[in-house]
Amino acid sequence: MDVGETETGVSTVLATLAWLADPIHWHGTDGIVTRLVEHLALSGTSLLIAGLLALPAGMYLGHTGHGAQLVINVLNVGRALPSLAILGFALPFSFWLGLGLGFWPTVMMLVPLGVPLILINSYVAIRSVDREVLDVAWGTGMRGWEVFREVELPLAVPIILGGVRNAAVTIVATATMGALVASGGLGRYIVDGLARQETGRLVTGALLVALLSIATEAAFDVLERVGVPPAVRAAHHLDTLRVPGVGAGG
Amino acid sequence: MTPNEPLLRWEWILDHADEIWQRLLEHVTLTVLAVGIGFALSFVAVVLIRRYHYLREPLTWLTGVLYTIPSLALFAVLVPVTGLTRVTAEIGLVSYTLLILIRSILDGLLSVPAEVRETAIGMGCTSGQLLWRVEIPLAVPVVIGGLRVATVTTIGLVTVTALIGQGGFGYFILLGMQRFFSTALIVGATLSILLAILADGLLVLAQHWTTPWTWERRRQA
Amino acid sequence: MNPSSSLPSLSSDVSLESSPPQGRGAAVEFRHVTVCYGSDRGGVTAAVNDLSLRVSPGEICVLVGPSGCGKTSTLRLVNRLLTPASGQVLIDNQDVASLDPVPLRRRIGYVIQQIGLFPHQTIAENVGTVPRLLKWPADRIRRRVDELLALIGLDPARVRDRYPAQLSGGERQRVGVARALAAEPPLLLMDEPFAAVDPIVRERLQDEFLRLQRALGPTVLFVTHDVDEAIKLATHVAVMRQGGRLAQYSPPAELLASPADEYVARFVGADRTLKRLTLITLGDLAWGPAPGDDGTQAAPMPAVSSAANARDALAAVLASPTREAMVVDGRGRCVGVVTLNMIAALLAAPAEAPQPPSGDPDGRGRLVRGGGAGAEGICDSE
Repeated sequence: MDVGETETGVSTVLATLAWLADPIHWHGTDGIVTRLVEHLALSGTSLLIAGLLALPAGMYLGHTGHGAQLVINVLNVGRALPSLAILGFALPFSFWLGLGLGFWPTVMMLVPLGVPLILINSYVAIRSVDREVLDVAWGTGMRGWEVFREVELPLAVPIILGGVRNAAVTIVATATMGALVASGGLGRYIVDGLARQETGRLVTGALLVALLSIATEAAFDVLERVGVPPAVRAAHHLDTLRVPGVGAGG
Repeated sequence: MTPNEPLLRWEWILDHADEIWQRLLEHVTLTVLAVGIGFALSFVAVVLIRRYHYLREPLTWLTGVLYTIPSLALFAVLVPVTGLTRVTAEIGLVSYTLLILIRSILDGLLSVPAEVRETAIGMGCTSGQLLWRVEIPLAVPVVIGGLRVATVTTIGLVTVTALIGQGGFGYFILLGMQRFFSTALIVGATLSILLAILADGLLVLAQHWTTPWTWERRRQA
Repeated sequence: MNPSSSLPSLSSDVSLESSPPQGRGAAVEFRHVTVCYGSDRGGVTAAVNDLSLRVSPGEICVLVGPSGCGKTSTLRLVNRLLTPASGQVLIDNQDVASLDPVPLRRRIGYVIQQIGLFPHQTIAENVGTVPRLLKWPADRIRRRVDELLALIGLDPARVRDRYPAQLSGGERQRVGVARALAAEPPLLLMDEPFAAVDPIVRERLQDEFLRLQRALGPTVLFVTHDVDEAIKLATHVAVMRQGGRLAQYSPPAELLASPADEYVARFVGADRTLKRLTLITLGDLAWGPAPGDDGTQAAPMPAVSSAANARDALAAVLASPTREAMVVDGRGRCVGVVTLNMIAALLAAPAEAPQPPSGDPDGRGRLVRGGGAGAEGICDSE
């Protein structure tokens, strides 16, 4: 690194600190708090919709055993779709629906991002319940719905949670791209910072988004530890089943 | 969208055929460089991990953190330092491949059945022979699986680099978004998707050709 | 000292095609060998405890016992996949600890239960693994592979370019044995190699293995938990107990006739007397005259082949109301009669050892009563 670059590095840090130190940047419609809330709203809505679509579908397919190929195809296709491209398609579509810029095109982009992740984990989670345990359940006269509720679902929770976690982190990260279609959220700092050449704004945005992603990851980590009974957790190798995300970054 | 604007202007596409081609080359170059460098780095990392087991945790953590950082953010942070250049783009793109590739290569080596490893050692293979003649060939399917994910992901991320002056087909997507020009948008989006599918397909073929022992299930003896 | 020169040299031109292998086996000896492993609770226990035995060249020593008795560990000491805490393992009077492990392993055939064929290599490549490691010329490897495949009953042309996934379980097992024999090793280590197949295939594999061993002559250390397999295959049986101690080391007939203690007797099985009969073929007996020789009408009776063992003859005899069975030769002609009394007489006779005892000047090899209370373990607790 030559002197010029070092200077750039130092000045970047200084600019960022200066930007953060300014109280104006914390409140108001462009304030950090507002943007954070917007970001969470975007992510939460998308995650919810993705979950509503993918959880029942994945669990049902896993329970009946059909549609393995379908699930794989959905996963592959989902991976192949560049988020920017989807956003590009979502924009005119959103207008056509009368939903305008900003929030809804972004959600439309984020949902297809989360669906494959939740779908495959839900499917795998139900499928991977030990065959022998299921045989015993069927053998004691439980019906399909009962087997699902009493046996498959509790055992499947860790892996399903893993899928929701992947989706959450990916969605939180990619929501930054919504700023390109004038949505709210922390991505605005990045896009605006690039456009206005404000380094402080730019880097702050980046940092905040990164922190939020990591925080989401950590939050789910805690949720997994607290919510999943140790015995069930031990029955799975949580690490190996964690599917590497679709483009993690927006 | 702008009213009275047709969804797809074919004349525009023909007029800009040259530029489309250029952007294709740009997209492919960015992808190949990123995945190539990423693979090389990951391979070295795995060989090191195989030797020094304590490296596994920290490296996994580091690449995991990199992966979690949104690409836009990563590029944003790099821009003040390395400018709006291809290098910036590549640094970001390469970082995203590392997690997947390191994990795939490791999983691939670990997927070698224990009894195969035991007999290889028991018959007198050295550590190096074990790695190159047994573990690596058997790891190929898993590794290529990881390469597929990494390549397709990278192709998607390349579009984002349009924001920092690179972009490949992302250039058209951005153009379409900024100017409400649906033709460019559709061209950019469709071509990126097609490129991803093509790359994935090529890698599946590559996996097939490098693993002749998977071609036929057991026939009646 | 060049370590690899201590074992029968491969550079000699002795190959399967030419000579019947006399004395091609290596001698193996364990001297007070102890192997320790740590347990989770912090204690240390012995996997193998003060084991001493000797195997002469060309013999088949079968290690048998329940799980946890250390038989697999004993085997793995020989090719240095395991290191003893104390004691020595000697091959042809050379301590394996002083030898370079990699060339050592290339001179020892090794077969494990799951076989471990390389899935990504053809059968020919699999079988030729060790010759390739030893840098044999390509055409010699090719000839050797075809020879071995034929020897184990597989058509080389059909099988050499196939992959392991395309063969049946029994075929894979046989290829595993062929692979172990490829470099003409003087010593063969086999760890429950036939356990994973069904009984019919297993019996065929055992017969084939015996045939191969007689033809090629390596010393074999064979591990199994199946006492019947041990009795069928072994020159000497080493019965081990939990905790890695040797309970008895003797030829099968002697093991059945005189088990060293309660544990061995139980392990061998309450039907050990019947098992003894399996070691004697009808050919050894003197049977009575064929019916019709003296002109009388013969009553119908079950037939048993002259190649069958005494136990099968007993089964046939018991099926007949007159307690007699007809002995027939290979062409189905009646050559005599065997009765229940004749078989019973066998059991009353003192146990014969069908094989000569291994030459063991110390007298330790023949009947070893394992240490109960006695030698203190090298490992801390016991």
